Amino acid sequence: MWGREWGKLKIAPFHFRVTSAMPIKWILHWQPNPGTTVNSQILSEVSQCAESINGVKDGRWKSTLSFYKAMGREQTIGNEFPRDFVGISLAEQPSKYFLVIRGQRLVVEAETSIQAIMEKLQSYKTRVALNFEGNQYQLGDFQLRVGKVVPMHSESLRGIVMEMEYLPISSWEKSHQMMGDFFDLWQEALSKRSLSGHFVHNEPNFREYGLTDQYSFQHTAVQYASITAQMIATSQGANQQR
Amino acid sequence: MECVVQGIIETKHVEALEILLQGLCGVHRESLRVHELCLKSVPNLGLVSSEIRLLCDLEQPEPTWTVRHVGGALRGAGADQISVLVRNMMESKVSKNALRLFYALGYKLDHELLRVGFTFQFHRGAQITVTVSSVNKMLKLHSTDEAVPVTPGIQLVEVTAPASSENYTEVVAAMSSFCEYLAPLLHLSKPGVSTGVVPTAAAAAASLMSDGGGTAL
Repeated sequence: MWGREWGKLKIAPFHFRVTSAMPIKWILHWQPNPGTTVNSQILSEVSQCAESINGVKDGRWKSTLSFYKAMGREQTIGNEFPRDFVGISLAEQPSKYFLVIRGQRLVVEAETSIQAIMEKLQSYKTRVALNFEGNQYQLGDFQLRVGKVVPMHSESLRGIVMEMEYLPISSWEKSHQMMGDFFDLWQEALSKRSLSGHFVHNEPNFREYGLTDQYSFQHTAVQYASITAQMIATSQGANQQR
Repeated sequence: MECVVQGIIETKHVEALEILLQGLCGVHRESLRVHELCLKSVPNLGLVSSEIRLLCDLEQPEPTWTVRHVGGALRGAGADQISVLVRNMMESKVSKNALRLFYALGYKLDHELLRVGFTFQFHRGAQITVTVSSVNKMLKLHSTDEAVPVTPGIQLVEVTAPASSENYTEVVAAMSSFCEYLAPLLHLSKPGVSTGVVPTAAAAAASLMSDGGGTAL
């Protein structure tokens, strides 16, 4: 594995972790082929693929996304309040909580006490939450996380996500080529398993959220809000076709 | 949860108060310049109306934001006996988009203030913060450069300390004990209980100013 040429991409040994700036992360979600659904067999194949390219398993991870719903005095609260307001807790930042309203391109980073504050306000409540959890793998300067998407307090698989993190660079623009190349190689390795679907990477427009080129936890929160919306849209689309 | 008392002091005596606080606390004062925005929920949002405060610390090189929720006060016969207000309070540091987020969630600006002054933070039986500030209103929306005092010639003194349901009696005792030292200059009581300036303030201030606080009051 060390110093091995893998196509055009050289997977260098993992020497050090950049601590002064955050590494880039792409978050991908599994798009099942039309007429198929995500299942645990696919999850298992994806995990095995990570190991087959010499990814070294080095722990588990879990992030959570909660849907906030406006509470009203009238029976039907209508469309006057955001319906895409979510709260996100990230595995690597347990002391922080992120609030995102996708439709308004808003992301706020807060301390975890913001959850208790929202609870006290009683204007919005969380009823449904999703857990993103699974194993993480080291692969040279890359870290991969493969995770299942399950509703809290349930084992029903709703999706599969992957995090691809490139440790040496924190600039979104500068890392693009490297990440793109790695993604292509990953897709190629996965395609040999003939799975009924593929991973999708749709980049949110971070500038619209007021975020800069330097990667941050807010970028990750925005990506999670974005892929969740896409997974819901895919699932609703599949339901309508039945 | 926090414990709170408030009082007022004439601006001309603030320097004397600062000397007294410097002597009592043994720490340096920190400047305060906070833009406080009080937001209220619009009708139909929430089963009950709600209020949230956003505080922007303008004293930092880069303004920093905090969200604060002040909840209900301790009630009952026991609470009436205590000279300090004990109330629920929660805070969270937030990034700069918090105001836009709460507007998007259905909160509207009720009023805004600019507090300018100083604070002393120290430990004396409890982690106590004394804030001395002029409270200013803005003539134009969000225009902190064009703020005028709400009560010219009078400043607000707030003494607060964080507490929990397990330790608030100790915190109340520590605060009450500390506040006694300030009695010659100002009277501190529960917010909403108005007491005015104290008659001994002028003499006490003169004493402090003449010898820099060396003489015990």
